[in-house]
Amino acid sequence: MHPTRLLAALAVLAATVSAVPARADDVKLGSVAGATGPIAEIVAPILAARNLAAAHVNAQGGILGGNSLVLVLGDSQCDPKAAVDAAHKVVSLEQVVAVVGANCSGATNAMAQSVTIPAGIVSVSDASAAPSITALDDRDLVFRVAPSDTNKGAALARLAWDAGHRSLAVAHANDDYNSGIAEVFAATFVELGGTVTASEPHEPGKQSYRSEVAALAGAGEADALALFAYYGGSGISFLRNVLEADAFDTFLAADGMLDPSVIETLGAEALAGRLTIIQSDSDPENASLAAFAELYRAATDLDPNGPYVAHGYDATFLLALAIEKAGAADPSLISAALREIANAPGEVICPGEWEKAVALIAAGEDINYEGASGPVDFDAAGDIEGFYSINVVTPEGTFEKRPLK
Amino acid sequence: MMEFLNFYLFPGILLGCIYALGAIGISLTFGILRFSNFAHGDTMVLGVYITLSFVWLTDLHPLVVMPLAMALTAFAMLGMDRAFFKPFRKSPPIMSVIASFGLMLMIRSAVQFFWGTQIQAMVKGIQPPLQWLQPLMLREKQLYILGGTVILMVAMHLLLTRTKIGKAMRAVSDNPDLAALTGINTERVVQATWILGASLAVAAGVFLALDTQVETNMGFKMLLPMFAAAILGGIGKPYGAVLGGMVIGIVEEVSAYPWIGTTPLLNPGYKAGVAFAIMVLMLIWRPQGLLRGRQF
Repeated sequence: MHPTRLLAALAVLAATVSAVPARADDVKLGSVAGATGPIAEIVAPILAARNLAAAHVNAQGGILGGNSLVLVLGDSQCDPKAAVDAAHKVVSLEQVVAVVGANCSGATNAMAQSVTIPAGIVSVSDASAAPSITALDDRDLVFRVAPSDTNKGAALARLAWDAGHRSLAVAHANDDYNSGIAEVFAATFVELGGTVTASEPHEPGKQSYRSEVAALAGAGEADALALFAYYGGSGISFLRNVLEADAFDTFLAADGMLDPSVIETLGAEALAGRLTIIQSDSDPENASLAAFAELYRAATDLDPNGPYVAHGYDATFLLALAIEKAGAADPSLISAALREIANAPGEVICPGEWEKAVALIAAGEDINYEGASGPVDFDAAGDIEGFYSINVVTPEGTFEKRPLK
Repeated sequence: MMEFLNFYLFPGILLGCIYALGAIGISLTFGILRFSNFAHGDTMVLGVYITLSFVWLTDLHPLVVMPLAMALTAFAMLGMDRAFFKPFRKSPPIMSVIASFGLMLMIRSAVQFFWGTQIQAMVKGIQPPLQWLQPLMLREKQLYILGGTVILMVAMHLLLTRTKIGKAMRAVSDNPDLAALTGINTERVVQATWILGASLAVAAGVFLALDTQVETNMGFKMLLPMFAAAILGGIGKPYGAVLGGMVIGIVEEVSAYPWIGTTPLLNPGYKAGVAFAIMVLMLIWRPQGLLRGRQF
């Protein structure tokens, strides 16, 4: 299917999902996502995964005794201001029980601080990785199934060190996610004994980054460039200017750059073997992932292994389980219930096993959801442990993925 | 020295060319129709996506199919003028400004709906610098942009100075009441303005897409620097818009050069602010612009 037509179809699908008139006894869950904006193509499969989780709930008997679970979409555009508007819409207007989202860290931070925490609403993000989210004063309301970049940035730095790089230049877009991972990355690399020749923030959304590139290249000889940016914000433009100036040979990046359009626009021959992207991923040996992948492939023609797709399913399914566990669509009960159903002990529940979970909850038994993205056991800050994969560009113009142990 | 030319001055000139082409339309619309056309940036986007579609269909170079896209976009703009701006011709300008704002959002949403929000490449891959120009680092596409801009500027100059409609446009821009009294058909002048403005905007957009990439919000990103260029040059003065565009493009890029010491004079992150600093200073000290445009 042509990507544009696919996107248009998804947009229409998302619109119809949110446009279904809600009945009084429907259970409404906010779904705040960057459906448009700089990572729209990454978000589309995540949204499909969230919708799939809701579809499973509704197909297997519904929630809270046969009611339907309705996802109310709010477009956060990967932007803090738009995220606050979108969250207001779903929380104040639609009166949702809890919120799935947002995706981008800047959006999640803004949404949590301005809307969901003051309103006492639990939010579970499926893609926000900035370390700053851990430190939010959130009265135990902000959770995420995306691992914090504290570990991912460090893992990428060790990878760079092991690959023989001893001096690096760092460029990052000045938003919460990209600044966060850049900081951890640079600090770890220096701890390992490496040199960071320059660490420069840049403003996303500009047409040309040639002077930024010249400043980085002028800061001294570096083995590689670590570029932390959203591909549609500044990532592709920045990388193009770097390649045109022939300023660096090797590039390191994180999830925000993991989209096929990077290769499509810049060309495989320019990137093959030179661009390495680290990704928060699921352990391929995780049985839940295989179950999810099968269900996801049956429902859509999208890739279940894309960035944060499994996480999108888990975040939605977890909140549905928490509502069922709480026994009422009452926002104040969700936080405690979420920890009970996500963490051990309890009977293991895998993706798609809604009926089984409902029966166990009704029987008063403990359950422990083991997600497609990992065991999703929340710590005190509402964070989880991560698992990472490495993607390199092949000469054929695809990303080749391997797990990082 | 080479570093200055390759990484600061040439990118500045290229950006200036693109700003200049875009600013002409804004300046002329302001001069002749008397409102700031916020939809100008998205007219550019529409033209770029039409060009992109022709490239997909025919596999020709974007510059070959660009004239066709210019014509189609100009035609679309005439239709939109009739639908959205003509009813407000005799109303206060703020009506047209708001209408243009709405039109901006409508065009962008339509483009996003039909073509998607995915980033596209007008020409895929990375172009190496031309060997025969070494050590200057200029790429083929950049020579096209420079050459294309010069050709379009000369064409615009001839149109404005040698043709009847061009002279009428300048007359209406200078003094609409006097122009109407002398029997100039203002509706025809308005149409010519849309055609010229939209065509040059499409050219600016395609040049920008050649140098960077195609995305649905590229027009909006360009809107503010183009306004700054139009104001700097003098509202209603097409030559002023060219001058203003070049100045803003060059100053934006060159401001990040390490003039003193080894660090950039101005952190590149702030270079967008340069255009506005110039615009604000200009409005305070010389509101008529470099070329004595309209004053407020």
